[in-house]
Amino acid sequence: MTYTFRVSALAAEFGVHRNTIRNWIRNGSLPARPGPGRQYVMEWEAYRALCERYGRSPRPGTDRVKDPAMLQQMAGKADLPPVFLGRRSPTFTESPAWIESCLACGSCAAACPISGVDGLDPCRIIRMALLDLEEELLATDWPWKCTLCGRCEESCPMAVGIVGFMRHIRSLRDRERVPGPIHSGVTTCLERGNNLGIPEQDFLALLDDLGRELALSCPGFTVPVDRYGARLLVTINSKEPFTEPDSMKWWWRIFHEAGESWTIASSNWEGVNWGFFSGDDEAMRTIVGRMVDNLQRLNCSALLLPE
Amino acid sequence: MFDLLQEYIDQDRIRLDRTIHTGRTTYHDPCNYGRRSQQLFGHGYFEEGRAITRACCPDFVDMQPPGADNYCCGAGGGLWSMPYAAERVFHGRLKARQIRETGARLVIAPCHNCRDQILRSLNREYELDIEVKYLWQLVADSLAGPS
Ligand code: SF4
Ligand code: SF4
Repeated sequence: MTYTFRVSALAAEFGVHRNTIRNWIRNGSLPARPGPGRQYVMEWEAYRALCERYGRSPRPGTDRVKDPAMLQQMAGKADLPPVFLGRRSPTFTESPAWIESCLACGSCAAACPISGVDGLDPCRIIRMALLDLEEELLATDWPWKCTLCGRCEESCPMAVGIVGFMRHIRSLRDRERVPGPIHSGVTTCLERGNNLGIPEQDFLALLDDLGRELALSCPGFTVPVDRYGARLLVTINSKEPFTEPDSMKWWWRIFHEAGESWTIASSNWEGVNWGFFSGDDEAMRTIVGRMVDNLQRLNCSALLLPE
Repeated sequence: MFDLLQEYIDQDRIRLDRTIHTGRTTYHDPCNYGRRSQQLFGHGYFEEGRAITRACCPDFVDMQPPGADNYCCGAGGGLWSMPYAAERVFHGRLKARQIRETGARLVIAPCHNCRDQILRSLNREYELDIEVKYLWQLVADSLAGPS
């Protein structure tokens, strides 16, 4: 501990002239060294010894940071049980969405077209996550009513990854409770190569029929299935062969006109990755992997995902 | 998709007839091709789809606001297949208003999901009385044949 003083103040304290103090410092009988702002610093022991020599008592409080009686009194007022801080659940903070930087400004809520629908509000969702209201948040259907449109994120001054975060909450939903058919679509796709489970034979027969029809107006047209070395691998949205097969012909007419070298894979031709919507990264990876396999197997150089 | 169609046009591999779609036309920005692509890949496809639409349709009018500020069709995020029809149609009210304000009779949507929502849902719910085409459908229907 140290004692900090000005020459004039110490001179007054001990009833001597300022120059006397300066002499003591200069000749070493007062072991003080220059400190900040024209002050001097000495060990508290040296100050106590000086006081003893002059029959004075040290100035009150100089030997302690605080007076013990006062500390006692303060401690009494703050008589709290020990408080454990707890740790934020990693469920939300492990998502790389930077939700911790949210300012609660509400811009996202203002930008969201469905703020207020069933109490949904992106700002509220981020705040609930930060306040660890995990159970409450996971129990809502908000992330499923949100269209992941990204208007909220576009308006956020802190660039919080709100859309990625919504998808992250979707991923935490028990798979059996994913609303609508998207999870069963993912399962079907993993098992049978497309979201609607269209068998390969039916698909190939359909392509053949449609190709023949189109050849009437585009002479020489055929649907190139599994053509090795084609430039473009074309994926299909399974709703097309299922509900409106003729709509596939629009692309085909363009390819025919442009003289494109293209192909459709006979299996795993699905272009709609529902794992993206259901929040199923694992399935999404598998489905993307299959597209890459097809690209490599058929030695194509570009992929068309008309979704 | 955009790059491919633009490549065909630029390299003169297809020619487009501008006398087929002469009615007023507008263009819908899908969230994933625009905002999301910008976020994830550093490029939002806003201009490309418009340029191709303009190449087919002489009377083109943008919705307000266009591009990055555009509204979702209301069926994104898988909502077209989810049991929240009321929320989906409510979300789409803004898209319906935007379309109506352009006075367009034809709306171009370069995404399956948006096209279905605008054509099969918003058109009916908000009595828009419009035609909706995929971007590639517009191009296919505008093909002028070899010169
Ligand atoms: S992404 Fe979801 S929360 Fe954000 S503005 Fe769109 S609908 Fe609202
Ligand atoms: S706009 Fe961003 S910072 Fe503001 S409340 Fe929403 S998430 Fe938080």
